[in-house]
Amino acid sequence: MEAALTSNPSMEHGIPVEIGRIDKELGKLWESSDDTKTRASLINLVVYTENEAGLAADNEVLAAVAGRHPCRAILILGNPSAPSSEAKAWISAHCHLLGKDTRQICSEQITFRLDGDAANALPNIVFSHLDSDLPLCLWWKADFPEPLDEKLWSWVDRLIFDSCSWRNPHHQFSIIRHISSSGKSAAVLCDLNWTRLHAWRFALASQFDNASAFPHLTRVESLSFRCAPCCRISALLLMGWLASRLKWRLDAENEMFVSTSGQSIPFQIEEVPGPNLSLISIQCTDAQFELKLAEGSDFFESILQTPGIPEIRQILPAPRGRLEDTLLAELSRAGRHALYTESLEVILPLLPR
Amino acid sequence: MPLDTLRSNPLREGLAQRSIPDPCTLVIFGATGDLTHRKLVPALYNLAADGALPPAISVVGFARRDKSDEVFRTELEEAARKFSRQAINDDLWKNFASTICYHRSEFDNLEGYEALARRLDDMDAARGTGGNRLFYLAAGPDQFEVILENLRKSGLNKAHPGAWSRIIVEKPFGTDLPSAKRLNDLVENAFDESETFRIDHYLGKETAQNIIVLRFANALFEAMWNSRYIDHVQITASEPLGVEGRAGYYEKSGALRDMVQNHLLQLLCLTAMEPPAGLDADSIRDEKVKVLRSLRPLTGSDVFKHVVRAQYGAGSINGKRVAAYRDELNVNPESVTETYVAMELNVDNWRWAGVPFFIRVGKRLPKAGTEIAVHFKSVPPVLFRATGESIDDNVLVIRIQPDEGISLRMSAKMPGSSLRIEPVKMDFHYGTSFGKATPEAYERLLLDAMSGDATLFARRDEVEQAWKFVDAIHEAWTTRTDDLALYSSGSWGPGEADELIKRHEATWRRL
Repeated sequence: MEAALTSNPSMEHGIPVEIGRIDKELGKLWESSDDTKTRASLINLVVYTENEAGLAADNEVLAAVAGRHPCRAILILGNPSAPSSEAKAWISAHCHLLGKDTRQICSEQITFRLDGDAANALPNIVFSHLDSDLPLCLWWKADFPEPLDEKLWSWVDRLIFDSCSWRNPHHQFSIIRHISSSGKSAAVLCDLNWTRLHAWRFALASQFDNASAFPHLTRVESLSFRCAPCCRISALLLMGWLASRLKWRLDAENEMFVSTSGQSIPFQIEEVPGPNLSLISIQCTDAQFELKLAEGSDFFESILQTPGIPEIRQILPAPRGRLEDTLLAELSRAGRHALYTESLEVILPLLPR
Repeated sequence: MPLDTLRSNPLREGLAQRSIPDPCTLVIFGATGDLTHRKLVPALYNLAADGALPPAISVVGFARRDKSDEVFRTELEEAARKFSRQAINDDLWKNFASTICYHRSEFDNLEGYEALARRLDDMDAARGTGGNRLFYLAAGPDQFEVILENLRKSGLNKAHPGAWSRIIVEKPFGTDLPSAKRLNDLVENAFDESETFRIDHYLGKETAQNIIVLRFANALFEAMWNSRYIDHVQITASEPLGVEGRAGYYEKSGALRDMVQNHLLQLLCLTAMEPPAGLDADSIRDEKVKVLRSLRPLTGSDVFKHVVRAQYGAGSINGKRVAAYRDELNVNPESVTETYVAMELNVDNWRWAGVPFFIRVGKRLPKAGTEIAVHFKSVPPVLFRATGESIDDNVLVIRIQPDEGISLRMSAKMPGSSLRIEPVKMDFHYGTSFGKATPEAYERLLLDAMSGDATLFARRDEVEQAWKFVDAIHEAWTTRTDDLALYSSGSWGPGEADELIKRHEATWRRL
């Protein structure tokens, strides 16, 4: 049991338990631990995946998240196409030292494997194992199913997904739009792809906080993006955000936006191997704003060229590439992402079908 | 988009972080001192690492010692590596350090300020800092007057058209009411009150800011935040350190002036104030001043009834023998400077009538900690009398430092067939719950000053009102010295302090 309290590299390293006895067995886990361990939980973090090969990595992400954001973690491996129906469960805990103290803060984890028809029991599995009165964050690591189980979605406080991993973003986004507009779910939509763009949006906004740079937002003439071949959707989302903020209209056929004053703003997305996004350049009538991110770098290079002022180069924090960092950033942020759906609407016609 | 429709940066909407302040130059007077090395430069580096500094910023160190920009940067880098909250990234430091330069001048040499003015103009042109200047008085308080005078004479206090000029004043804001008034007059002679930022770094601490949220965003607490439910409040600031080489300063100030006049009275104000009309600087500061004005004055013989002063003797801290205060280097062997103060205060207003606020502050106490403990009244001793169980009162503790957080003590039944009641604690730790390091107070305060937000800075009337209250106590102390108690280093203070709170049938909290 002590081993389960200190490490949990995979499903098999938890303690197998009968599903009906999970709460009792979790209780025993704490009774048998020493006084230096404190159970803590701020949220229920449910992860649903259908990728068994990625389970060990998911466990590592949960362990890292639990160290900074104590939670009741529920990891569910669904295998709806399995020929036989079976549900199994394991319990474990992630413990982390609290600063220089000898005390440890521990998060519980329940891992489920749902084969065949048992995968349909997902809502019940989730509902019956939540830490009560705590928000439910559901990280959906698969394509969204149709039809949606509305009972499940109505319980979700934050729905986490990663649009970068979708094979058919247009279809998946239409499901997301349905979830958010049906009125049956109050879930905050949390696209990790959008979360990764936060540092880009912050850095771009910072470039234009400056009073001398601010007026140039009305004089944009063209946009250029550079992204990895797999991450065109990241560049599109960032572009959608920019367009929605500046009230530009998309002319998808001609690959350009049109400003409210009728100015054409062509855009170009270059796909080259490297970071998800590596460059955004905003060319204005008499100024240029660039953000560059080199492979492996933790910092953007921000370059501002405006008339009458010397070129300003600044280093700004860039998004951390690790999945757990992105997830933690998302969990640490409260409130809705009001601009996400707005940005999405702008670029919907450009999404691959 | 027509220009006139853009009233604020539309890209900023929806981002968690605040707007980046205008480009500016920060001039630090006393740039070779401890404060610059331990606090200011690490704070600036952390702001740079968080992307919170303006794109164009210059930092100018102004001090007397002769050194090059390069040597100055190297010294600051060493300090930043030692004291920064975040590890130093070489690329980021290099970028940040390129904004730093050193200006050598005596504080009383007007030509040095005139040269600074020319240099700042050149830097504005070269770096795009737009003529905005933030002056930081990090030198010794004895230098404030001459610095302020020369800033005025050199015209540095006056901003260029369209730009701003501000000043940050470090505590102590004077040593008594007349000197505080004199300092305030000097500051006012050069800078408008709206351009003046008096730093009390306690107000920059996350937990201090959270007092307002805890009180006014939680119906549970605010409904009970009055004399009907609260028995008394204890505010404690303890530290195991002695004078640590600051004897020259401490001999003149003592705990009352060093800690009570500013930090502890500020915490008391946040605890006792009425809901402000808004969250803007003046609304909050108006309410804090009202609390200070409502403090029942302590004068004459009342001082000896309600205030205990004491000085540490020899003892041991963390298993090591430590010397008595009077045996410390540069301390007068017959010194009557207090290193410990405990007092009972009363806020004479409707909300707090009859609720004493007990304050204690001391050096060479067993452990470091600053907290506000709100002790609620006892439940009527009716229901559980027959069981013979004593029931501890509810206590809400706001821990300012270290281990910032909030805890609530309440009573619970122990499992078992008999009725046994034990106190249990509900605990909220910032570190555990939010999982990220809280910014240092100086980070927040520097950023606020750059943005012109004075909410977390003390206003002139606050400072003077606090001095008025403290001066009356000090004046009484000058009439006699026989009340000065002694306590052993490593103890929780003198027995007289225990007697003080015992009169209210209470005891000091164990930290």
